[in-house]
Amino acid sequence: MLSRVVLSAAATAAPCLKTAAVLGPGALQATRIFHTGQPQLAPVPPLPEYGGKVRLGLIPEEFFQFLYPKTGVTGPYMLGTGLILYCLSKEIYVITPETFSTISVVGLLVYAIKKYGASVAEFIDKLNEQKIAQLEEVKQASIKQIQDVIELEKSQQALTQKRHYLFDVQRNNIAMALEVTYRERLHKVYKEVKNRLDYHISVQDMMRRKEQEHMINWVEKNVVQSISAQQEKETIAKCIADLKLLSKKAQAQPVM
Amino acid sequence: MNENLFASFITPTLMGLPVIILIVAMPNIFIPSSNRLLTNRVLTLQRWLIQLILKQMMAMHNNKGRSWSLMLISLIIFIGSTNLLGLSPHTFTPTTQLSMNLGMAIPLWAGAVILGFRHKTKSSLAHFLPQGTPVPLIPMLIIIETISLFIQPMALAVRLTANITAGHLLIHLIGGATLALLSISVPTALVTLIILILLTILEFAVALIQAYVFTLLVSLYLHDNA
Repeated sequence: MLSRVVLSAAATAAPCLKTAAVLGPGALQATRIFHTGQPQLAPVPPLPEYGGKVRLGLIPEEFFQFLYPKTGVTGPYMLGTGLILYCLSKEIYVITPETFSTISVVGLLVYAIKKYGASVAEFIDKLNEQKIAQLEEVKQASIKQIQDVIELEKSQQALTQKRHYLFDVQRNNIAMALEVTYRERLHKVYKEVKNRLDYHISVQDMMRRKEQEHMINWVEKNVVQSISAQQEKETIAKCIADLKLLSKKAQAQPVM
Repeated sequence: MNENLFASFITPTLMGLPVIILIVAMPNIFIPSSNRLLTNRVLTLQRWLIQLILKQMMAMHNNKGRSWSLMLISLIIFIGSTNLLGLSPHTFTPTTQLSMNLGMAIPLWAGAVILGFRHKTKSSLAHFLPQGTPVPLIPMLIIIETISLFIQPMALAVRLTANITAGHLLIHLIGGATLALLSISVPTALVTLIILILLTILEFAVALIQAYVFTLLVSLYLHDNA
């Protein structure tokens, strides 16, 4: 069925294909020209999809239409009944045991077909559809796979566009690391220098303190030496007299 | 009446010409073939049925046995179709003739047995003596097994012939009874007609079952000897 469709399509397009062979999207098909001869059998008429209509499963509808103008609707039925009765009455058809077996066989067949015909037909159509669905699935899976690959390729290409971010980040990192190292070293230098200067300052402080202490000690020593014995005694007597006075004053106070 | 009863089993000749050849070749028309992927309903159904039978029947064989697939499937299709067509009125069923069934059974059985003897001689001979038989019984048992072996083709042919012939005869007889009872008492004739309908259902089943049994047994012989 499909091949006939292709054939008819190609044949109807064939005349213009040959002339338009150089240009147009038909160029792909034009390299294979199907029918170069006289197109007598070329557009094969498609087969009918359904059979002709029948009545009673045997007699084509055309017979009824043929008799309709002369005998109306009941005409063919009267003809059939008459023929059957004629054959029976003249014993052209003899009723034998075979007749009853015919009745039972044909009756059974008609009953079975009427009852299960539609479901069997559905089942068969489903079988065909399953076949197509399988092939379709293969096709779709293949298409999907190719699409996935295309997507992957595109994303990879997009990624390469964004590679410069990576390099920028790395560059920034390195710059930061360099900056950090520089500052660290700066700080270290500063600390070292401060250390040296502090040392000098503390040396100076220590010298001054020592000089102060030395001076104080010398002054004290000289003062103590300058205090003679006589002065010492007088000083102590005065202190005792003062203390007595004070104690008298102190005793006098609480009485009040 | 007596003559008519067996009239349907006479080998048909038309003015002296053996029409039997055409009759045997006729079921072929009802099994069309096509090389399209998507076929019409009849063909799809037939293909599906054949595939079902094939898978079920050839599953137990090895590769060597499966080379008989075409033969066995053709066998079951032929017997099934001829039996079913024989149920229609005024038809001749080739499988009612013993000659034809013998012609089908003997070559197939002999082929399977000779294959077995050629390729697996020891195991084929071993079939003659089942395991675990008491020693004094051995000679008698071998004779019995030999007889049972040689009866196999006869049984195949006669089984098929007898079943189909008997079915046809019964249908004819009960149809005759219905006919005769029609003029005596109609209700009894109706009862007989119902019996006839039930018998016809049985005959449809028998037609298919006999085909299946025949093919299955041949495939069994093949499996034993393949």
